[in-house]
Amino acid sequence: MTGRWQFRDHEAERRLFNRRVMLASSIIFLLLATLVAKLVNLQVVQYEYFSARSDGNRLHVQYVPPNRGLIYDRSGTLLADNLPVYNLTIVPEEVIDLDATLEYLSGLVDLSAGDIETFEEQLRRSRVPYSSVPLRYVLTEEEKYRVAVNNHRMPGVSMEPQLMRHYPFDSLTAHSVGYVSHINQQELDALDETEFENYGGTTHIGKTGVERTYEHLLHGQVGYETVEKNNRGRVMRVLESTEALAGNDISLHLDHRLQMVAEEALGDYRGAVVAIEPETGGILAMVSKPGFDPNLFVTGISRKDYGALVTDEVNTPLFDRSTNPYPPGSTIKPFLGLAGLHLGLVDYDYTIDDPGYFRLPGVSYRWNDYTMRTVIGGGHGVTDLRKAIYQSCDTFFYDLGNRLGIDAIYDFMSLFGFGGNLALDIDYARSGVLPSRDWKMETRGEPWYPGDTINSSIGQGYMWATPLQLATAASLIANEGRMVRPRILQSVNGEPYFLEEEFPTADVVLEDPDYWRYIGDAMTMVVHRPYSNVFRDYGTAFEAIARADPDMTYKIAGKTGTAQVVGISQNIRSSAEIRVSELNRDHALFIAFAPAGHPQIEPRIALAVFVENGEHGSTVAGPVAKKITDAWLLDILQLDLTVEAEPETVFPQEPAPPTPSEIAAVAAVNE
Amino acid sequence: MNSRDYAQVSAAPQARPAARGLRLLASVKIDFSLLVLVLLLCCFGLAALYSASDGNGDLIRRQALIVGLGVLAMLAVAQFDMRLIRRAAIYVYLGGLGLLGLVLVIGVEANGARSWLDLPGLPSFQPSELMKFVVPGVLAWYLADRPLPPRLWQVIVAGLLAAVPAALIVMQNDMGTAMLVAMAGIFVLLLAGMSLKLVAFGGLLALLASPLWYVFVALEHQKNRILSFINPYTDPAGAGYNIIQSQIAIGSGGVYGKGFGEGDQSRLDFIPESNTDFIFAVIAEEFGLVGALALITLYVLLLARGLQVAINARNMFARLLAGGIVLVVFFNVFVNVAMVIGLLPVIGLPLPLISRGGTAIIAFFVGFGLLMSIDAHSRKSQMPRG
Repeated sequence: MTGRWQFRDHEAERRLFNRRVMLASSIIFLLLATLVAKLVNLQVVQYEYFSARSDGNRLHVQYVPPNRGLIYDRSGTLLADNLPVYNLTIVPEEVIDLDATLEYLSGLVDLSAGDIETFEEQLRRSRVPYSSVPLRYVLTEEEKYRVAVNNHRMPGVSMEPQLMRHYPFDSLTAHSVGYVSHINQQELDALDETEFENYGGTTHIGKTGVERTYEHLLHGQVGYETVEKNNRGRVMRVLESTEALAGNDISLHLDHRLQMVAEEALGDYRGAVVAIEPETGGILAMVSKPGFDPNLFVTGISRKDYGALVTDEVNTPLFDRSTNPYPPGSTIKPFLGLAGLHLGLVDYDYTIDDPGYFRLPGVSYRWNDYTMRTVIGGGHGVTDLRKAIYQSCDTFFYDLGNRLGIDAIYDFMSLFGFGGNLALDIDYARSGVLPSRDWKMETRGEPWYPGDTINSSIGQGYMWATPLQLATAASLIANEGRMVRPRILQSVNGEPYFLEEEFPTADVVLEDPDYWRYIGDAMTMVVHRPYSNVFRDYGTAFEAIARADPDMTYKIAGKTGTAQVVGISQNIRSSAEIRVSELNRDHALFIAFAPAGHPQIEPRIALAVFVENGEHGSTVAGPVAKKITDAWLLDILQLDLTVEAEPETVFPQEPAPPTPSEIAAVAAVNE
Repeated sequence: MNSRDYAQVSAAPQARPAARGLRLLASVKIDFSLLVLVLLLCCFGLAALYSASDGNGDLIRRQALIVGLGVLAMLAVAQFDMRLIRRAAIYVYLGGLGLLGLVLVIGVEANGARSWLDLPGLPSFQPSELMKFVVPGVLAWYLADRPLPPRLWQVIVAGLLAAVPAALIVMQNDMGTAMLVAMAGIFVLLLAGMSLKLVAFGGLLALLASPLWYVFVALEHQKNRILSFINPYTDPAGAGYNIIQSQIAIGSGGVYGKGFGEGDQSRLDFIPESNTDFIFAVIAEEFGLVGALALITLYVLLLARGLQVAINARNMFARLLAGGIVLVVFFNVFVNVAMVIGLLPVIGLPLPLISRGGTAIIAFFVGFGLLMSIDAHSRKSQMPRG
């Protein structure tokens, strides 16, 4: 101890210590004053600012998406439902090892490469931190159980309940009802400001069909919630909420049973059926075959599934055949006949003597009558308008069309909706082509030639019409010109939606209303005029419909049509020569309404059947129509159509068995 | 009564049991003003912890248990004789160094610092926390024997006595405590009358060295703490997050606070480390400026009482030890509050007696127990005179 010998002034040391304590106290006081000043600055001066920051931290406004309105058919059967499903979602911020988690999950649930691909795509996009990203939609019961049991091993993974659109009839309503799918940027951009607000919490939007047309009725009103979230984005409590307003439930004119019958009747053919109730304009059935499963689109269709749908160039399942145009063929003949009567170019007694071809005056070129191409040659002989319809005589209409001229044809056919869209709520339906001089000049840059009129007169050439247009036009004949525009929506929340007075559309008024009955009779003969001792003097659809069902209790008025898919040179006698592929086969068409000529019951159904590459309007499309009218009138409406006293026959009843040569000739008839 | 004779009195076999109990109680050395202040602070701490931990019962019970053990430790230390403490200082110091060395070998890591010892039969504890009062003790022991002010070489020896444990704690990656231990040494030297020129020189040297430290020595997270202190909004979601959220909590508390258990920032976990380093933000949010000032006032009273003890102490060892303890407590409080309100960069030091902790709280109680012992010692010596 070196200090022992030193002199120590304890009092001086004590004073030094005390001075140092005073110094330290002053410094302590100054430092504490600094702390207090800073606290006053934070808690008094900047209080408002930090208070707002604190609320901004914790308070969040969340959208509460409304439940989408349900869609029923006319019988009250659900066509579009909302099902509670559980989706597998991941909050990436809470996951420790994403790859390992995905790996583990794939052992619990069925995860396709597409699911993971979609998930990773969503991860790459900008998103709200701590928001969940869907990985798999619609877990099965078993998967739900497996995830729930193992959930504690997978932080960040959860199952979120959601009401998911579901179409119980799958492909049956794929085109007509359409589907909803994830809303995309384009659709968001198209919304105005209030709509955009209303779609704040909405993930899906109607993409096609009724779902798209009536998006504004089905969507509903968004609700709001002010929630308090913690540091990890978890909602701790709801402070304030405005309920969402569910969308409207709507009922369609569509009947799912008729829809099923139509789909089944088309069999393996590609094609379309549109059926309309003439009295209301209600669309009873609208089928396009083949369909697809719309539910795939709701959950986000995988690349593979979508690829399979779009690369099928033959079946084109996504293509709606019911609202897309095809050459209508002979199905337009009744309308041309009405035009002839109305404009006084033909009357009930007017006849031509058909040699089997037509020639423009002063032109050597022959337009052949395709309907009578037989091995023995020759035409329909002496033919009036009625026979021209039930035997589908081309030559008669070549002549009539030539005399009408394209301008009159255009004006008259427009009244029936050709070249336009009469449907009130199928705005996506195509207009087809009702050719005119202006149209040809605009689209082709060529003048209209007389020969163009001849081709148009039998629904070929430039003339294109959709099955919806054909059914609408048939419905107008059934209504004898009273215009009731077709529509698919029947009622909203039980209240009728379309009020007729709100849609004034001119009726088709003819010089003599009897012309309607005359054409109706002629169309009835297409189906019901039987064999007679006159060579081939029976309706083009008699064999396929009336003869096939001798017990028919009602009559169908119809018209067959067979439309060439590829141009056939007039010099080729039989189109069989160029049928190298099934896809070049003619399209088969049939328009009809029923019951026809019934003393008490007005026509209850008008329809158009289109069978792609079906070849024969009579034998392929006709029976489809018959199955539909049977189903509607007998099975669904359950009408008693038997007529007590047989009314005066509209055509001679002289059945005679055909001779063997006739049978051979008939076999060679194309239609 | 002459407390010098308490040993004989309490040993008197004839005394009636009640009177004997009373005399025993009276002979126990307690400074009631210190005790009350310390208990008030602990209650404040438990309330804040209850709110910050969202009413976590286990955590509160554990903290209350530690406080209880601390009070017992404080009272036990208060009974020690000053001469015993003075003699023991160097051995405790050497024992402490031994433990710090042991930590480097078999220490357990938690929260990034490897400073825990998990010895069989003992709860795990942090030797480094004990050093913040052992260092003032050993320096007081060393300097009190020598004429003051100390000479330069004595300053250097004393500095080394503080620097060795500080360096060992730096090796545990616990910068906050290391700094506190180093400061403890400087405080005792200052009180002992170390030349202020030397202090100014040392301060200047540290200032000049700091850029070099920043460029060559500082670790990434330390640089981030400095940067986010200067402007927290350069990285508001990362390094600046803690200080921003803490300031929001304090500022939004306003004058009267949001109410007990109603602090949105703490309830919803926006305040980081709300149980430990940032617990002052919870108090300022829920009890407002009023509560924060009340807490600071309690500390001021505690410090004032401590300095009073130091000034009244009978010898230089007691003075230096008492003064050193008070300044260490103050430094700890100041650094913590200044860090939480954004006046200093983030330095990992808890708020004494308030933050959740084990060894740290026990250490503070031991420190206050030493103050009580010093107080009792000085009264004993004054009694006969007065």
